[in-house]
Amino acid sequence: MVALGILLLAAVVFPWVFRLPYHRDLVIRIFLYAMLAQAWNILAGYCGQISLGHAVFFGTGAYTSTVLQVTWGVNPWLGLPAGIATAVALSLVIGYPCFRLRGHYFAIATIAVGEIVQTLAINWEFIGGARGLTIPFQKDSLLAFQFATSKYPYYYIMLALLAICMLVSWRIERTRLGYYFRAIREDPEAAQSVGISVTKYKLVAMAISAGVVAAGGTFYAQYVLYLDPDSVLPLSLSILVCLLAVVGGVGTLWGPLVGAALLIPLSEFTRIQFGGTGRAVDLLIYGALMTIVAVFQPAGLVGMFRRRLGHWGR
Amino acid sequence: MRKGPCMRRIGLSVVAMLMALAVAPAAFAQAREVVIGVLYPMTGPSAQIGIDARNIINVAVDIVNNGANINLPLAKSKGLPRLGGAKVRVVFVDHQGSAALGQSEAERLITQEKVHALLGAYQSAVTTTASQVAERMGIPFVNADSSSPALTERGFKWFFRTSPHDGHFSQVMFEFMQDFEKKRSIKFKSVAILNEDTTFGADSSKVQEELAKKYGYEVVAKIPFRTGTTSLDAEVGRLKDANADVLLPSLYTSDAILLTRTARNLDYNPKLIIAQDAGYTDPKFVTEMGKQAEAALTRAPFALDLAARKPLIPVVDEMFKKVSGGRDLADVSARAFTGFMTLVDAINRAGSTDPAAIQKALRESNIPADQLIMPWTGVKFDEKGQNIGVRAILQQLQGGSYQTVYPFELAAKDVVYPIPAWSQRR
Amino acid sequence: MSMFHIPSSEMLIQGILSGILMGCLYALIAAGLSLIFGLMEIVNFAHGEFLMLGMYTTFWMYALFHLDPLLSVPISAAALFLLGWLTYKSIIRRILGGPMLAQIFATFGLGIFLRAAAQFLWTPDFRQISDPWVQGPVRILGVSVGKPQLVASVACLLAFGFLYWFITKTETGMALEATAQDRQAAALMGINTERMLTLGWGIGSACVGVAAAFLASFFYVFPYVGSLFALIAFVTVALGGFGSIPGSLVAGVIIGVIEVLGGILIAPAFKYVAVFGLYLVVVLVRPQGLFGKF
Repeated sequence: MVALGILLLAAVVFPWVFRLPYHRDLVIRIFLYAMLAQAWNILAGYCGQISLGHAVFFGTGAYTSTVLQVTWGVNPWLGLPAGIATAVALSLVIGYPCFRLRGHYFAIATIAVGEIVQTLAINWEFIGGARGLTIPFQKDSLLAFQFATSKYPYYYIMLALLAICMLVSWRIERTRLGYYFRAIREDPEAAQSVGISVTKYKLVAMAISAGVVAAGGTFYAQYVLYLDPDSVLPLSLSILVCLLAVVGGVGTLWGPLVGAALLIPLSEFTRIQFGGTGRAVDLLIYGALMTIVAVFQPAGLVGMFRRRLGHWGR
Repeated sequence: MRKGPCMRRIGLSVVAMLMALAVAPAAFAQAREVVIGVLYPMTGPSAQIGIDARNIINVAVDIVNNGANINLPLAKSKGLPRLGGAKVRVVFVDHQGSAALGQSEAERLITQEKVHALLGAYQSAVTTTASQVAERMGIPFVNADSSSPALTERGFKWFFRTSPHDGHFSQVMFEFMQDFEKKRSIKFKSVAILNEDTTFGADSSKVQEELAKKYGYEVVAKIPFRTGTTSLDAEVGRLKDANADVLLPSLYTSDAILLTRTARNLDYNPKLIIAQDAGYTDPKFVTEMGKQAEAALTRAPFALDLAARKPLIPVVDEMFKKVSGGRDLADVSARAFTGFMTLVDAINRAGSTDPAAIQKALRESNIPADQLIMPWTGVKFDEKGQNIGVRAILQQLQGGSYQTVYPFELAAKDVVYPIPAWSQRR
Repeated sequence: MSMFHIPSSEMLIQGILSGILMGCLYALIAAGLSLIFGLMEIVNFAHGEFLMLGMYTTFWMYALFHLDPLLSVPISAAALFLLGWLTYKSIIRRILGGPMLAQIFATFGLGIFLRAAAQFLWTPDFRQISDPWVQGPVRILGVSVGKPQLVASVACLLAFGFLYWFITKTETGMALEATAQDRQAAALMGINTERMLTLGWGIGSACVGVAAAFLASFFYVFPYVGSLFALIAFVTVALGGFGSIPGSLVAGVIIGVIEVLGGILIAPAFKYVAVFGLYLVVVLVRPQGLFGKF
């Protein structure tokens, strides 16, 4: 509990100590990706359904709120729940038929869905097609969800979103819902036989996961003020989200956050140091690291800590 | 076996995090210098673009800082004369083609590396977000090579584009078609548009479709496809069926190579091809596919074959070839060079590194044609930040290299028409 | 522009033919993946990069020694056999019993590493084999198709034939199949399962090596070339059924044809929508793919 309090205090105080926009930008991105990874973790870590197409929900959230804003002038704060609702609906449409599939077939099906959605988005003029959408500059305002001159509001909004997501995860972990999820992950047939409706709870996990990711999408759109299919729907984003959770420790509460806190600065660091040379040294390091962690420490960092410290989480 | 690697890994990760957060600019405060941030893709499918840009900009920096035997004002002395000989230092960043990264890198360059100006970023999407940051923070942003017309329609005050955009380019294509029809007493009735599906292709095809309608040509096929596709059989099949008089492709190098090969395999013989540059002017495409892509026309911002009229060209080309591993000066490198030199010229005229002074100097830019390697009338920006001295030309692949064929006054060679059919070649 | 396009009969024939030819190539690439999966339930997410390395091998044989791609086939196959063998020994062996996610990311990281290494060593510039023995068009059934694609698909079919013969008629092959069916039972029967798994990686990778050599004769080579081919390969394997070699062949051809037909009939922009859409439709009806084992 004390540790948690200190962490929270550090997070709140951070932007006052580190004043350079780049550092805040980095931490904002860490928070965003941590939230996405945590959401993915709900479906994949707790419930055992490995989705490699989660970017679909990110893009859905981002596009929904942006299209509403740009075409009909709907305030992004209203666009946010609209995006979440659309993503949840989409997740049910995708999930219901796909949950019949097992293991690798399901994973590849999610890739297939992701690619289809990205292609459709590229060719759909109404939402900007390949050229994307730009959110016009407005004055800094909480109401308009835009802050051009300062990072503080973005920082705290993202922190709040992340905190809510962690809270949701924590509640899931502790309650019956979490038990159902884990039962489904460990042995779906056994779970079914004790009366747990496997499909229903998979869909619940999917819906929660999708909704959270969509919220992240809306935040991203308001943060960067530009989106196109390549930035919010690509396979690489889906993979990144999984990777963060895996490195940190999939199926744990803190895993995704730890993973994001480590990998994002690392990839930034290698890119800044080596990326400008065009020799791809940063990716060399990144790829090697990914493989090494997967091979030597599959339980992720959290798993590693757990073993050493003996207590944590549960 | 467990402890060792574990401890090392924890230590490594902590160090990595600290180092990442502590990426601080080195203290260069002593020597007076001008710092320019340059953003290009250095990894990913467009990596070669960034590498070309980086190489040519290093050449330019060398010319400015160390002087050179070349007929450019800034080559006459070491450093920038109006800033007391201050040297130019460039910070290169790789934005990996990501708009979000472009944004954060622009921010980092401005606030941490303390750059005085920015240059970049090739992909229009990345240029959009990166220049947004520059606009917000009041730092001049010079764009040498993004072709989306929308970039200069945003009412920005700090954004300057030296190169032509899709509107200019496509316009010249259709002007050519009209002039050529008159010259040869023929009539083109239909066009087919083939484009890859990123911003570049989408923008280009949209402009071309509008212009086609405006000039009265029927668009019998409009085919966007996924860039980097494994096969263009379906696309070429459609094109064959549509049988347009003129094919207008907007393709990157990889797709241009594949298109040419597929056209040969499937026996597709368009009579006239006018390409939207990019892949078609990549030196690699020219050396590898030059013979097969015989008689293809392309719009070109840059013409290597005008070397006879512009002595600057062969000199810069030689310098570039030394660092590029033998690659000739071409579209990307030529435009990056021009954008960079324009920026440096403005900083010099400003006589200061104050952003507002640089902005004013950029606005007042008036670089004459003989100081450019480009076939333009000069560099002069309008109130939207667009260079109005641009002139797009058309070149045609003849005998394995590009010859300027339009405007007819500049042309060294005549247009070869129609493109010889595959069965008649070799 | 209307949604659907009525093609001429010439275009239809040309399309189907091209699709079949390309499909054989997809099939061989997928076969390697399927073989590995059948043995140990691991999907090699670096498969596209293996293909890329095979293509580079072929290219350098051409650029440095003027070896035509046809002659490089055994070289590429051998090089990739070695790569697969090494990958198994250094990486895969250690993650065999582990969680699926670790398996995914081990090979995924390998893929990123190999792509970056290729860029580091050979720059991202596009390479081509400019003058192979086999090039240009050939006329079949009244339409033109690419000669390299024709030769490639014939070779791939031969490779499939060889693979089939190997697995069903040779002792090693049968041992391999037994290991795939039930590793424990195979071990009890005295089969050196460790050697079988290594061999599986070697052969699976060699398949890709063969495909790579032919692909390099008509496709450009650069560090990122493997990505799209790999994606198609994954869908092909899943469509055919993980672990089924004949399934890969059937699925590969189907996907090749759908890719082209989808492009001709609907729109080339939606080529892959048709492919992925087909996959989804099939697995929803048959969750284990066309010929899958479970």
